[in-house]
Amino acid sequence: MNALDFYYFNTIPYPYLPPVEEENISWVSLSNKYFDPKVGYKVYNDALMLSAAAERFGYDGTLVNEHHSTAWGIQPAPNLSAMHIVANTTHIPVGIIGNALPLMNNPIRVAEEIAMLDVVSGGRIISGFVVGTGMEYYSSPVSPAWARDRFWEAHDLIIKAWTQDGPFIWEGEQYHIPNVNPWPRPLQQPHPPIWIPGIGSKDTIRKVVEKGYHYMTVFSPQWLVQQMFDEYRALSEKMNKEFSRKQLSVAVMTYVAETDAQAHREAKAHISWLFKRGLRHPQFFHSPPGYQTKQAWAGTMSVRGKLPAQPDLTYEEMLRERYIIVGSPQTVAEILHEEYVGKLGVGGVICSGTWGPMPSWMALKGMQLMAEEVMPLFREADGKPDYMRKAPLVPSTVAERAAVFGKAKYPPTTHVDGLDDPILTAHAHVPEVIDPSQKAREPAIV
Amino acid sequence: MATSTIESIPRETVPKPRNYYTEPKFIDVEGLPTAYRRKGAGEPVVFLHGAGMTRMWLPFYEQLSKSVDLITPEHPGFGETPMPPWLRNFDDIVQHYHEFFRKLGLTKFHLAGFSLGGWMAAEYATFYPDSLASLTLLVPIGLRVKNPLPDIFQDGPDIALRLFNDLSKAVDVAPDDTMEEMTFGYGEAATLARLVWSPRYNIQLPRRLNRVTAPSLVLRAAHDRLVSDEIAIAYRHALPNSRDLVIPGTGHALIQEEPTLVAEAITRFVTEKHS
Repeated sequence: MNALDFYYFNTIPYPYLPPVEEENISWVSLSNKYFDPKVGYKVYNDALMLSAAAERFGYDGTLVNEHHSTAWGIQPAPNLSAMHIVANTTHIPVGIIGNALPLMNNPIRVAEEIAMLDVVSGGRIISGFVVGTGMEYYSSPVSPAWARDRFWEAHDLIIKAWTQDGPFIWEGEQYHIPNVNPWPRPLQQPHPPIWIPGIGSKDTIRKVVEKGYHYMTVFSPQWLVQQMFDEYRALSEKMNKEFSRKQLSVAVMTYVAETDAQAHREAKAHISWLFKRGLRHPQFFHSPPGYQTKQAWAGTMSVRGKLPAQPDLTYEEMLRERYIIVGSPQTVAEILHEEYVGKLGVGGVICSGTWGPMPSWMALKGMQLMAEEVMPLFREADGKPDYMRKAPLVPSTVAERAAVFGKAKYPPTTHVDGLDDPILTAHAHVPEVIDPSQKAREPAIV
Repeated sequence: MATSTIESIPRETVPKPRNYYTEPKFIDVEGLPTAYRRKGAGEPVVFLHGAGMTRMWLPFYEQLSKSVDLITPEHPGFGETPMPPWLRNFDDIVQHYHEFFRKLGLTKFHLAGFSLGGWMAAEYATFYPDSLASLTLLVPIGLRVKNPLPDIFQDGPDIALRLFNDLSKAVDVAPDDTMEEMTFGYGEAATLARLVWSPRYNIQLPRRLNRVTAPSLVLRAAHDRLVSDEIAIAYRHALPNSRDLVIPGTGHALIQEEPTLVAEAITRFVTEKHS
């Protein structure tokens, strides 16, 4: 097993905006008149190209996120991105750090789409479940007051839909569905791995530990990440839950160039855009009324309320507090080794992505250096991501499929006009078979 | 029929505003300790507060209590009435208040409501029209009109600027600048988010208001910069036995901006019906 997993994270920022002096917000109320679909064509396709390229460089997974009504990330339908990436890759796990469950009026849609992605991809899907940021609720009919209730009820419903035969009736407090019976079911059994991102809510950490899910942190200074993981580990021990470092990962934007100085030259403006322009919104948007309990809100305010707002962070603070890592391969490798593998004890870093308006050629350069000069230091001698050592869930050729899977349990049959008995469709075009004097025969191969 | 016992919801300590705080009385309403204040003599008038200015015996209340028997309960999840886990929508509010009134022995009384409380009073009136001696709605919300409410959740911190036209009148009742009060305010806003995040009107209400035959008064502000006058006007049209009145020199927070004028208007209305 490798010492550290490297994930690519696609957030699809749309940086073609008027300056802050003209429009001092990027979320909820920044008018979508600033979205130019012709420019969007380039933004989407460049971003999705990079997501797929992560496979060739050897990343352990390629992730997408979900946000609404914001130029910070124009990815409201992450399952669509995931399908695009699945179609342009063959083996790499594809993670959706959506879906924002409470925002769905029918959570079965998530069960269906993730299952469909999982089957089409040959079992490569990581299914994130998110509450959605506070900002998402301002453009939703769903009251933030029900965010947590809906999140966990939708979660329970989806897991049941994936693991029990349908149809069954769901009679919850937030959802009622007369026939839960999603076609398809997921390929991975009992279901795709679940990742839940957090910014420190103890209630969330407790549930994640209880369920044995993967916990990832986002947009947090390292001291706070440390607190969250300490909490995760302490709870795991207390609740007697088996625990692997591969269940913990940190989203920390990382950029590698030839030297420290060169890395800063290349990254600084783009990363600054991300914090100072992309994430510009009133802080109270983070927690609309009811999004948290009063107690949790007070707790958040006492910790996060004391952190600088993202646009107010200086580049030096971003580096110092490890919101970001920028440097030469050696610098980055040392930090990852000492602080992430060592001190934090995590199994994965969600490290690469298009940070703000960084051009794709520059992002590719950073990815290549990461792949050539950083990743191998954390890998077994074969240099492979862990997933390449697992047996694939699906055969890759027709012959292999026939050999491995054999026949389907129910070969397709049908009634046709003029025949009393059902016939096997596989041979229906063979005249001897539709001759009424002939009996339906088993086909040699389905 | 079996009677169910509902576990009593514990009271929590709430911060006390620096001005106008008075200790409320509590009455157990199906397990919910419901805070209310009561003062005065004469016609019983229940006043339902808006989405803020809780825990205070406002000058407006004092003024009104000089001529009527004024009862000012605090809604579930507001002021010192705790947030009950069962609270989901206006039906729960209506049922809660019906039981509250029954417990206080109020069978025929005057009901008034300000802003959010106006919506609650209107809802109550459509379910229990026979309980009401009269209905007074002060700058109510709850109906869909051409000009929607501003997003009160999005504009949170700036809302006071649109609530009051005369900001000097806001000073006394502005929330204390403490973490405790802010947390408390977040809790009240969470109750509001349960009730009115979506939709911010009741599409069935106009038709139902036709049942309210009690004399009704709709009070409007002279220049409401928060809630469109169209809502008050729509109530006026939907209520079969209604009239309206504009309080001069006021914004949305008319009870704090012109307490005497508003108290006099309500007193006149409720006493004329019974004299």
